[in-house]
Amino acid sequence: MSGREPVTGRAAITHAAVLVLIAASATLVYALPRSILAFMSFQASLVVVYYARLPARAKLGYGALILGLVMPFLGSHNAYYMEVAIQVGIFVALALGLNIVVGLAGLLDLGYVAFYAVGAYTWAVFGSPQALKLFPTATGLFPLDGWWFFPFLALGLAVAAAAGVLLGLPVLRLRGDYLAIVTLGFGEVIRVLANNLDKPWNVTNGPKGITPIQRPPLFFEPALRVLGFEVSPFALYPLYFYFLVLAVVAVVIVANRRLERSHIGRAWEAIREDELAAQAMGVPLVRMKLLAFATGASFAGIMGVIFSAKQLFINPESFTFLESIGVLAMVILGGMGSIPGAIIGASVVTILNLQVLKGLSLWLNELRNAGITILGYNLANLPSQFEPAKYERMVFGIILILMMIYRPAGIIPARRRRIETAAPPEGAAR
Amino acid sequence: MDWQLVLAILPQVVIDGLVLGFMYALIALGYTMVYGVLELINFAHSEIFMVGGFVGVEILLSLQSHGWLGRINPFVALILIVLAGMVVAGLLAVAVERIAYRPLRSAPRLIPLISAIGVSFFLQDAVRLTESLWRNAFYLTYPSFAVLNRRIELGQSIDFSVKSIVVIAASLAMLVALQFLVKRTRLGRAIRAVAEDQPTASLMGVNVNRIIALTFLIGGAMGGAAGVLFGVQYNTINPFTGFIPGIKAFTAAVLGGIGNIPGAMVGGLVLGLLEAFAASYLSLFTGGAFGAEYKDIFAFSILILILIFRPRGLLGEVVRERA
Amino acid sequence: MSEILLEARGVTKRFGGLVALNDVNFTLESGSIASIIGPNGAGKTTLFNVFTGFYAPESGEVLVGGRSIVGLTPDRITALGVCRTFQNIRLFKNMTVLENVLVGAHTRVALRFWDVVARTPAFAREEGAALDRIGRLLDLVGLRGKENDLARNLPYGDQRRLEIARALGSDPRVLLLDEPTAGMTQGESRALMDFLRRLIRDLGLTILLIEHNMRVVMEVSDRVTVLDYGEKIAEGRAAEVQRNARVIEAYLGRGRAAGGAVTP
Repeated sequence: MSGREPVTGRAAITHAAVLVLIAASATLVYALPRSILAFMSFQASLVVVYYARLPARAKLGYGALILGLVMPFLGSHNAYYMEVAIQVGIFVALALGLNIVVGLAGLLDLGYVAFYAVGAYTWAVFGSPQALKLFPTATGLFPLDGWWFFPFLALGLAVAAAAGVLLGLPVLRLRGDYLAIVTLGFGEVIRVLANNLDKPWNVTNGPKGITPIQRPPLFFEPALRVLGFEVSPFALYPLYFYFLVLAVVAVVIVANRRLERSHIGRAWEAIREDELAAQAMGVPLVRMKLLAFATGASFAGIMGVIFSAKQLFINPESFTFLESIGVLAMVILGGMGSIPGAIIGASVVTILNLQVLKGLSLWLNELRNAGITILGYNLANLPSQFEPAKYERMVFGIILILMMIYRPAGIIPARRRRIETAAPPEGAAR
Repeated sequence: MDWQLVLAILPQVVIDGLVLGFMYALIALGYTMVYGVLELINFAHSEIFMVGGFVGVEILLSLQSHGWLGRINPFVALILIVLAGMVVAGLLAVAVERIAYRPLRSAPRLIPLISAIGVSFFLQDAVRLTESLWRNAFYLTYPSFAVLNRRIELGQSIDFSVKSIVVIAASLAMLVALQFLVKRTRLGRAIRAVAEDQPTASLMGVNVNRIIALTFLIGGAMGGAAGVLFGVQYNTINPFTGFIPGIKAFTAAVLGGIGNIPGAMVGGLVLGLLEAFAASYLSLFTGGAFGAEYKDIFAFSILILILIFRPRGLLGEVVRERA
Repeated sequence: MSEILLEARGVTKRFGGLVALNDVNFTLESGSIASIIGPNGAGKTTLFNVFTGFYAPESGEVLVGGRSIVGLTPDRITALGVCRTFQNIRLFKNMTVLENVLVGAHTRVALRFWDVVARTPAFAREEGAALDRIGRLLDLVGLRGKENDLARNLPYGDQRRLEIARALGSDPRVLLLDEPTAGMTQGESRALMDFLRRLIRDLGLTILLIEHNMRVVMEVSDRVTVLDYGEKIAEGRAAEVQRNARVIEAYLGRGRAAGGAVTP
């Protein structure tokens, strides 16, 4: 709006710096496939792009370059990084969904992962031989063909949204802290059901879980072959899921932004600020809260479908209270009500869990095996039960406590947008 | 349906239910007292309970490793570990309040609740970390006392262990003592005053911070005692033991009318009995389709139904209601 | 003739043993400013809460434009054209001035979920129309230029005006103002009253006030209703009510006990 950059030289320097950073960190990752720090510097380049003094269009371009080209390239050389990226993407979508419920509408949902479970089981049951245990006569039909995965994305979304409405209807009149406990109860109920609904009808196969779950077909494989690429499905699927997750995350972000910048998003925030005043201004409380629940749940539902197909196997262990709190920690860390906050929060927490804690575990193991002595303590004596990788709870706990006490608005607090009214007042420059 | 079987196991079910119920009642007190003064669901209370259980097992294990366990009277040992569990858990609860809740006292309601969830998770892993480094194990088993495991037979199909009786008696004694404390002492009056109206109580010269700390101390001590008794009754304990009993005790507190001390006791007993009945009879009544594994769902359903239809709980009339 | 926009017929509301409103009858004609006065605890705000659907009366009826609204939720009543402000300001403090008024316009935005997510042409049209209208409203209340300020950062007088603007955002036919001049100086109150008169003229609004400032009430009101202990004890033109013996007694009797806060 304020015209061109006065000094074009500075813009050029910024562009150059960003490009150099991307190239350098990517090269580092390529050259040092085992270095966590290298990969983290690559991840940080995305953050730098976000904060760089560049026009929105350029940021989008660099983001697309990093996520659409460099990441898949690095990921196809190191499958572990691909896995990390997919996990981050899944949690970004979950955090964005929960952000609507907790951050915008101010409803503390402690059982959010239940909706993820609903989506996951929706595809898992019908996209695997499990459905035959329910309908033994339908031998020709089940497991459903891989193509059904795509309609099931929509179905998973719809079923999860319906579950959100079903839970919401009776409980949304409750006060905030009671609502939190009831959603926790709901999450546990879903998990216990998943654990036990192997009888009297075998729906979920109980704690043993469901496998093998169908994956979507590699419909583009013939095209690749024509182009001269010979890639095994084994190598292709991570890429495929990566782009699938990336696409869904993009859709989720756009939907989130559009909702936030509409009468719906404003109504949610008004409910969070002062429920009674919101209602007096004509905001239908129950309907808007249900909408928040259903929207948040639908993001989890669609990711659940993708998750089950990606994993090939699911069981109730993936949908515990711990997971719900993990997603909550992501939202809180990033900043309640903030879309970039939810993205950063999800990335940081996932990377912390997948890479930092695990890396620490591996490192300690090496020290243990080497029998190095520090300050007179032989690390070979380090108890085998001590494994940093398993201390997710402590990470979540510390995040929640510290953020609430020192920075309740999160790392990237939600910013108020400037909106211009149609008829700007005369003489008001800017 | 086999009515004879239903009747035959009934006394056993009632005793199980009472043991469970008194345990829930003891834990529920912590929730209800804190809610009374701060309107905060002290999510970390389940971990205070768990820490109490670990204090008990640690003392017994170290007595055992020194070979002293067999030489002291089991009942003396029991009293010792209950007291130790109470002291440590009570002090821990006070520390948690001081660090994680007091700075947030004027913040919107959900902020301290989120902090409390954080404390809960932190404590689980803190205990796990400590025990991993200390014993290289975090699933610990209570050393057993032969006397406590002895079973008393009443008739041919009813028998119960001495420790069930001990647990029930100990819980009852503590509930009575607490009721006396709250109803008859100056301290109890101050607690009730703060619960009723904090600013006024403060104007009347009550040191609100001190009373809130004492509330956490007492509630935490009750939770710690429950943790030790839980370990004695069910033998094993781990850092995640607290979660489910914690939720159920909270259910009991809501059932009895949150903020209401006798209500928590009644709620605990009702929930314990209901759960014991569900665990024993659900499978019997549904022809084996749904078994004891649904007893948790049963408790959660009660919680949800109570909150929706009677959020003031069974004894809710006693609690003032103000918009 | 002017039509009756808001009417209470035999409204009774109890809180436990306390009768907050006892068989109250009341009518509000379009195009007028009416006031409800009465000592503290007379039931004025309770009557507002009944009018706006926050309380359901035990007996009696409330009609908006001849239609009963008993049992409707507050948001439905706002959609029917009755909107209010609060005695203790209840703005959405962490939202901007413009967003506050936009929330007020919630019932006037005819958009579905899909319109928002897909950004259909209807979205641009409706959102644009709302912004146009609200731009004019902000001019009217004098908050132009502060659109993007956070509500909590506004000075007190502006917060009061923003509350009114937010209620106007719902494009009401009847505006209920609960002590709008509370905490204002005499000059500010006077300016506010001029503003209210302008609203009636420009927007064709009807206004019902709860007010303690007697000078304001007497100057601005076409009609005054007096409540005491939940009962209507007088009604009429300002000058008539001022001379009414029961009113004087109700005020002086308790006015003195309360430190003579109210001087008719």
